[in-house]
Amino acid sequence: MKKRSKKQSGGKGFWGEVAKEFKKNKGAIIGLIIFGIIIFAAIAAMFILDYKTQITKLNLSEALRPVSSKHIFGTDQFGRDIFLRILYGAHYSLLIGVCAVVISTLIGSILGILAGYFGGITETLIMRLMDIISPIPSVLLAICIASAFGQSLYSLMLAVGVISVPSFARVARAGVMTVRDQEYIEAAKSQGASEFQIIVEHVIPNSLPPILVQATMRVASAIISASSLSFLGLGVPAPQPEWGGMLSEGRNFLGTNTNMTLFPGIAIMITVLCINLIGDGVRDAMDPRLKR
Amino acid sequence: MAEELVLDIKDLVVRYDTDAGSVKAVNGINLKLRRKRSIGLVGETGAGKTTTALAILNLVPEPAGVIKNGSILVDGKNILAMSESELQKTRGKGVSMIFQDPMTALNPVFTVGEQIAESIRIHEGVSEKEAMRRAVEMLEIVGIAANRVNDYPHQLSGGMKQRVVIAIALACRAKLLIADEPTTALDVTIQAQVLELIRSYREKYDTAMLLITHDLGIVAESCDEVAVMYAGNIVEYGTLEDVFNQTKHPYTEGLFNSLPNIIERRSKLTPIPGMVPDPTELPEGCVFAERCAYATDECGKTVQADQWLSDTHMVRCSRYCEPDFNIIRRIKT
Amino acid sequence: MHRYVFKRILLLIPIMLAVSFVVYFIVDLAPGDDIDAIYGNELTAEQKDELREELGYNDPLVIRYARYMGKLLTGDMGTSSFYHEPVMKLYFSKFPATLNLAFWGIIVALLIAIPLGIIAAVHQNTLIDSASMILGLLGMSMPNFWFGLMLIILFSLTLGWLPSFGNESWTSVILPAVTVGVGQAALLIRTTRSSMLEVIRQDYLRTVRAKGVNERTVIYHHALRNALIPIITAAGTQLGIALGGSVVVESVFAWPGVGKLTIDAFNTRDTTLVVGCLILTTAFSSILMMLIDIIYAFVDPRIKARYMN
Repeated sequence: MKKRSKKQSGGKGFWGEVAKEFKKNKGAIIGLIIFGIIIFAAIAAMFILDYKTQITKLNLSEALRPVSSKHIFGTDQFGRDIFLRILYGAHYSLLIGVCAVVISTLIGSILGILAGYFGGITETLIMRLMDIISPIPSVLLAICIASAFGQSLYSLMLAVGVISVPSFARVARAGVMTVRDQEYIEAAKSQGASEFQIIVEHVIPNSLPPILVQATMRVASAIISASSLSFLGLGVPAPQPEWGGMLSEGRNFLGTNTNMTLFPGIAIMITVLCINLIGDGVRDAMDPRLKR
Repeated sequence: MAEELVLDIKDLVVRYDTDAGSVKAVNGINLKLRRKRSIGLVGETGAGKTTTALAILNLVPEPAGVIKNGSILVDGKNILAMSESELQKTRGKGVSMIFQDPMTALNPVFTVGEQIAESIRIHEGVSEKEAMRRAVEMLEIVGIAANRVNDYPHQLSGGMKQRVVIAIALACRAKLLIADEPTTALDVTIQAQVLELIRSYREKYDTAMLLITHDLGIVAESCDEVAVMYAGNIVEYGTLEDVFNQTKHPYTEGLFNSLPNIIERRSKLTPIPGMVPDPTELPEGCVFAERCAYATDECGKTVQADQWLSDTHMVRCSRYCEPDFNIIRRIKT
Repeated sequence: MHRYVFKRILLLIPIMLAVSFVVYFIVDLAPGDDIDAIYGNELTAEQKDELREELGYNDPLVIRYARYMGKLLTGDMGTSSFYHEPVMKLYFSKFPATLNLAFWGIIVALLIAIPLGIIAAVHQNTLIDSASMILGLLGMSMPNFWFGLMLIILFSLTLGWLPSFGNESWTSVILPAVTVGVGQAALLIRTTRSSMLEVIRQDYLRTVRAKGVNERTVIYHHALRNALIPIITAAGTQLGIALGGSVVVESVFAWPGVGKLTIDAFNTRDTTLVVGCLILTTAFSSILMMLIDIIYAFVDPRIKARYMN
């Protein structure tokens, strides 16, 4: 309750408070720092490394080398340096994770806000649609979508994005419903504000925190889902060094070249761990009631 | 005499360590209770009454709550030095407690019968079936029909829940009963019934009682002795006669004067001015000095000692014997 | 109670209808069909188109769907173009393996998550709490197919203790079940912890302690019973997902379950089988969710009472 009154009295207070709470969380700060480094490395790699010569060029004389000072993570079956490929591949995972979540946040929140604000038949229609999508096992749904739109980075984003639309719709709807009947909405209406204005000025800012928390968490699971699809052969097409795809290639060399599966997996884990830490921090900071 | 003491609290100090500082909930209290006797612990919300009660069961909520000092002898044995298994034997059998809020005091997923039978089974070493039979008996004693034994708490009214809480506390005939505001949540008509119920049960089993309340009327009705608590201190202590008719502490005076007067209806209520001090920063000297009409500069600086007026009457106020000090009791009880 | 259960089952029918339509629609979007899958290069494109026309493949989606559902009501979900066997029969021949894996997976998950979650909650903000939270976080952050591969490297290839693929002996289920279970446990630890934390501060536990009940009983009997509902929901959701075939894990361990059947069907463009698998899988997880709702009633008398009325 205290939280809401702060939010209404002026956006800054609430966000300042959140930032202050977030800074207290050691895990979240560590996560944020490492994640920052990962993003920096991912961007730098795209500029510094040459895709043709350093990432995809075959060099069979150097194939399947173990970890050494020359190739710190070793090389794969085509003699490509695994470390450089992981570095270069970082941006795929990050891009897919973020874009997929942007897609699901946008679609899900819009649906949820419309459902929550207008209620009645709109709400019933939207929420029933969500009820229909959500029991379909998410990996299978993603596989359907990915195969319907062909094997590409974009269809992977779409597939991973669509599977979390229902949960965003639910969170957004719940958020809207708590503010829908507040008096200040009535007040805005009586002053002649249009529905659109009310939604943009009052409803969205007030239902934003839970959506943001959900979004941060979902980036993490989106990266894992995407790498799973790539692992199954439905993701980013082959020569591109996507982490899940690299893992999939490494499967054929499990007995002899552990490094081919070990390192891409660790890369995924560290990235996702950082995002989860940040997500936890954001959640605890936004909702002190959840913090224990 | 000493062997008759059911409860003997010495120098009890309890703190709650929170982010906002150390809450000084109980600050060195002494309390003695003999067999069959009952004592009323009176004071405002936050005075440390419930904390004292929980300390007697060694159930001060951890990790924030810490018993810093003192001893609590129940039947001659120090609760605070007991092992976990000794404690479990004492809780429910040596000391039992009626909790304040009946709405939250019962486990929602077990039947009331199961919840009463549990303590009987633990302490009396009887079979499940026998424990259940006695649970039904207890229900009837507290005035609930036997066929409600398989009901869940949510199926009972507030008054009935409170009776179940009482039945749990009385089930093993504990020597000492702690009743924490046992009637606050009840309708006035039921209050009297419940008090009568506790009284008759105590008579039957010679149970001693520590009654926590802010209602002086209830104290007058059911207690032999009174301890008035303020900001973690017992400021006045004595028999009913001592405290009610020979009131010596200004705070006790304030409590009586803030009661509505039935005889003289038109007389105004006289609230005690000011606020209870912040328990994280208690004043240096007398804890009541800030609100006290009789306080001198000295009162705010020196810690007050217990002054014994007689064998039974204690007041923690240095001004009581001075000639200009004269308690005005507007209401006769 | 019976009426409630009956109502829940009735409610399932329209949902399943809608879900099956959505599945049918999405699969239809994908390029390629079973004519391609069966005849591949044997027939020319014109011949294939003729065949499609003949078999009604070019009819509007709704009509094809209605035809499909009509057959489904008689228990016919079509024939797999790859295996040349009825979809229903194929699915149910693989289902026991998936059930087996799902069962052992959730057992592993609960065995890890419930004790850890409880200990973390009881010793909140201590080293053991942080340790189990970090463990949970790591488990959540790790792609479980990768964890499966690591298990294979360690226990099959290096130590040679356990088989790494297939379902030949009773030891075969261990690695896949641990893989599935650890992934689920990571989520369940958090649920258990927060649910226990909620309960642990309730007044009624003080009443129980005041009775002289030992701490073990307080936590495992009184508190856990109250904390169980969110745990059951989370575990049930996880089980529902696993029942649909842990597609990725089944693929890693070449586990002959419905997940692998589905993914193989995708890869062979076996459209009839894909639709069938998806509909059946979704049906099973919906039924499971319904069962969980009913189980609540037995755990929490308050919910039971609501259903009775």
